[in-house]
Amino acid sequence: MNSSLLTPSSSSSSPHHLQSPATFDHDDFLQNFFSSAPWPSSALDDDAPPPTSDSSLAGFHHHDVDSRNQITMIPLSHHNPNDAVDVNAIYSGFSAGSLPFHFPQGSGGGVMKQSHTQTQSQATASTTTGGTAATPQTKPKVRARRGQATDPHSIAERLRRERIAERMKSLQELVPNGNKTDKASMLDEIIDYVKFLQLQVKVLSMSRLGGAASVSSQISEDAGGSNENTSGENQTTAKMTEHQVAKLMEEDMGSAMQYLQGKGLCLMPISLATTISTATCPSRNPLISAVKEAGVPLSPNAATTPVVNVKGASVVTVKDASSVSKP
Amino acid sequence: MGSGNNPIYTGVPEKDVFALHFLQTLSNLRTQIPFSSPDKTKDRVKKIKKAAYVSMARAAGGTNRLWSRSLLHQAAKRNNKNVRLSRRRKRVTWPRRNRRDPVEEPAAERLRNLVPGGGAMETSKLMEETAHYIKCLSMQVKVMQCLVDGLSPK
Repeated sequence: MNSSLLTPSSSSSSPHHLQSPATFDHDDFLQNFFSSAPWPSSALDDDAPPPTSDSSLAGFHHHDVDSRNQITMIPLSHHNPNDAVDVNAIYSGFSAGSLPFHFPQGSGGGVMKQSHTQTQSQATASTTTGGTAATPQTKPKVRARRGQATDPHSIAERLRRERIAERMKSLQELVPNGNKTDKASMLDEIIDYVKFLQLQVKVLSMSRLGGAASVSSQISEDAGGSNENTSGENQTTAKMTEHQVAKLMEEDMGSAMQYLQGKGLCLMPISLATTISTATCPSRNPLISAVKEAGVPLSPNAATTPVVNVKGASVVTVKDASSVSKP
Repeated sequence: MGSGNNPIYTGVPEKDVFALHFLQTLSNLRTQIPFSSPDKTKDRVKKIKKAAYVSMARAAGGTNRLWSRSLLHQAAKRNNKNVRLSRRRKRVTWPRRNRRDPVEEPAAERLRNLVPGGGAMETSKLMEETAHYIKCLSMQVKVMQCLVDGLSPK
């Protein structure tokens, strides 16, 4: 048989690697086991042949999960220290879930007892898997089943912790640097990340959208603003824009275009501009003729559109169909 | 960006939803407030920041999420005293002690302060809200960044 048998059947993947023995055959052992009908603790001692005992327990686990909740792994307690490693592997296989195990690798009996109590207090997923297997016992008395350790409170507690861990895992994927295994440091990371994102929102709302007052933005506010402005005012602001654009055009055409675009303006030949303006609204003529360069506001009509001007970077939402298309 | 692999639903809408809401809020802002002088930039900044959060809350699912609900509530309260009390499914009560005293409570406390509406939640619910909040925040940041990049000259 192959080594995959040592993975617990109830859970798909256990994060803890089992140092599984490579091969074993469980048929003999199972027969031995199942021949002894009830599973009193003392009886199991003699039945398990020592060499195959570790592997047998794994096979035993498979049947166990389905049928029996209350199985005692007595042979474990009598293992010699050499097998402690494998025993740990099997034991972790039994606990069907992602529990951190701290198995001291010492001698057999005392070890098992310690780890047993530990896992009993830690077991979370075992409730869902229906009370997996065996609790190693040194006493002949039957202990409480794992998964129903003491009372409903602890079960609820366990469920709750499990839920929290699950959500933590999903949070881990969201947050960069989410490779911390420690819960506390993971929470710190999450908190820092949330603070960082909030800070980013604040900075972004300051940078271009909110804040730096500049002459050009002031111009854009007025130039792109509603058309209730007097034509005189429009003329002066248009002139300033004009100068700015001319300056920019000396260095680089692209930057000039971008500047205009930033104001919600576009560049077009004068003839076209005059044609459009005369076609739509004759009263705009004085404005158009005042503009030597063809920096035309994108909403030439008198009867339009609220223009959203965010300071520093104008967002022009032009809704009239007759307007010049934006470059 | 759809929901992840987890069974808990934390999907957020696409970027354009956020963008739409944000621009709408900005245009409302523009019509409400005439352009003020540069000394009042702080005021403007605050208003824009609030607009960003409110638009994010609206875009992210309106009142379906606890944090967005509480955010909108806070914003409305600041604007005017009359807050229309939306129908709440359950009252805000002090969570029972056994729900709030796990091992990681001190850190959870800080998280509660950060996430809007966090004071009234259990820890597990808090984590779920935090996941959604983080997704929405990062989406909003992306939108704002795109806006700023696309509209800045040069």
